Amino acid sequence: MRYPRLPMEDLDRKTLDYLKRLCRIQLTDAEEKDLGQSLKNILEYMEFLKEVDTEEVEPCYFVLQGLQQEHQREDVPGTPLSRETFLANAPDQIGGMVRIPPVMGGE
Amino acid sequence: MKPLHHFSAVELTESFQKGEVSATEIAEYFLERIEKHNSDLGAFLTVFEPRMLQKAKELDEKRANKEPLGRLAGVPIAIKDNTHVQGEITSCGSKFQEGYRAPFSATVVRLLEEEGALLTGKANLDEFAMGSSNENSAFYSVKNPQDPTRVPGGSSGGSAALVGAGLSLIATGSDTGGSIRQPAAFCGIVGYKPTYGRVSRYGLVAFGSSLDQIGPFAANVGDIALSMGVMGRFCEKDATSLELPQEHYPLSQDLSNVVFGAPYHYLEGLRDDVKENYLASLEKLKSLGAQVVDIDLDILKYSLAVYYILSTAEASTNLARFDGIRYGKRAQTESLDAIIDRSREEGFGAEVKRRIMLGTYVLASGYQNAYYTKALKVRTRIVDAFETVFNTCDAIAMPVAPSGAFKAGTIREPLQMYLQDIFTIPANLAGLPAISVPSGLCQEGMPLGLQIVGPQLSDTSVIQYGYAFEKAVSPLPKGAFYE
Repeated sequence: MRYPRLPMEDLDRKTLDYLKRLCRIQLTDAEEKDLGQSLKNILEYMEFLKEVDTEEVEPCYFVLQGLQQEHQREDVPGTPLSRETFLANAPDQIGGMVRIPPVMGGE
Repeated sequence: MKPLHHFSAVELTESFQKGEVSATEIAEYFLERIEKHNSDLGAFLTVFEPRMLQKAKELDEKRANKEPLGRLAGVPIAIKDNTHVQGEITSCGSKFQEGYRAPFSATVVRLLEEEGALLTGKANLDEFAMGSSNENSAFYSVKNPQDPTRVPGGSSGGSAALVGAGLSLIATGSDTGGSIRQPAAFCGIVGYKPTYGRVSRYGLVAFGSSLDQIGPFAANVGDIALSMGVMGRFCEKDATSLELPQEHYPLSQDLSNVVFGAPYHYLEGLRDDVKENYLASLEKLKSLGAQVVDIDLDILKYSLAVYYILSTAEASTNLARFDGIRYGKRAQTESLDAIIDRSREEGFGAEVKRRIMLGTYVLASGYQNAYYTKALKVRTRIVDAFETVFNTCDAIAMPVAPSGAFKAGTIREPLQMYLQDIFTIPANLAGLPAISVPSGLCQEGMPLGLQIVGPQLSDTSVIQYGYAFEKAVSPLPKGAFYE
């Protein structure tokens, strides 16, 4: 099996910026320095897995293979929580809905 | 009568049901203990004073009216603060969720309350259950009740510390890679991670969904059996819940004809005092009539790498919902995009950010086969290795952690902290039941635990083996908070 070249040495600002965009997380300068180094160390440690022979091995998506019964509930509506209950934790609301800033231009 | 926190849960509920003590007396007694010790211990994030007194009053009235009381009637039980109790805060140890009130109760919480439990409050934890020392709580760190300069373990450190200090008799935890068993060992109590699917995850804030499992902490194995009899029920609201008959967890001290596997080779490099304690534990199992055989589980050396790929991948997906839009802390800013980015920046702590980024990395286009899919395949090999081993033994006996509780602030490098979980992660990867039972002290005088791991669904046997072992070990000192 061939592995793509991992950007170990270039787990740099460019890769971090890409990850930040994917994760939707901003970082402080101190966090960025710390995270860059620790991610590099952890990814290096994970390289260790390459030595395991996984030819012909199926991925394990679920550990209860064969144990779980087929159970599907009846296709009937239940009693969901009320709108008020759901909205009770919303940071901002208007007219029974979650309120967010305008997403269209002002003009 | 001995102090109420010296009772087991089994004894206390019996005493309440016989009329020797009222639920109100129990509630007031434990609230007073919490008030006295929590500011030094940091184990609770919320204390349910009015809720507890109200429930106690109801229980006393029920008893007066000779109504059925439930198997946990009058037992003070704390809930890890990543599990919903309707109307109460679920902070997950995160600033993001500060002030979030649960709109419904988790199934385990409902089951415990239906059986008459007195819920004492919400237990502190590492933020979103990510950590092995409880130093990642966004609010305050938890101290080890045996030695407050040391950590209680994590991520369910609050749950373990409050049971260790006698502030509740039982607590729930969640175990994704050892978060019940390691803190139980560090605090000198018993912790149990059930078979994946045995206890409903409905109402648990997800971290790594294919690994997470709720389980109990208690001062003794008998109370673990009692609580599992209540918590281990099929739940239609959890798609991975197993539809199994309810177990009663009978206990016996007989280990004759039981074969334990010892993965000696995998344990090479273990610290001398931990190894000595482990070998002595094996001798105790033998003295109870069990046989101990050498087993090959060398594949487990890859567990940590597999775990930190899969758990972070799952976490990065599960934590995508925390965007500051529908609930949680919303950053005050102008645009929708900025709300999401800034809310996550301000709301999440460093370790959570690290794991989300790592999980995103291993799932990213171009790297997914090298990391995520590879890890899933090695997981298959680990599951297969356990299956093979269980052809030659009934359960596996191994240490819980590579050391006893360490001093707060001494492990700063994330990878070093992750290595805390090296012996507990395999059971999560294979969905196996595993118990941590106190086994003695390390050279610094802190508690150590023996871990007993069984095949899937062997919860009854694992708890029984743990019970037998517990009876063969001299009780450990309890620490200043307990007395």
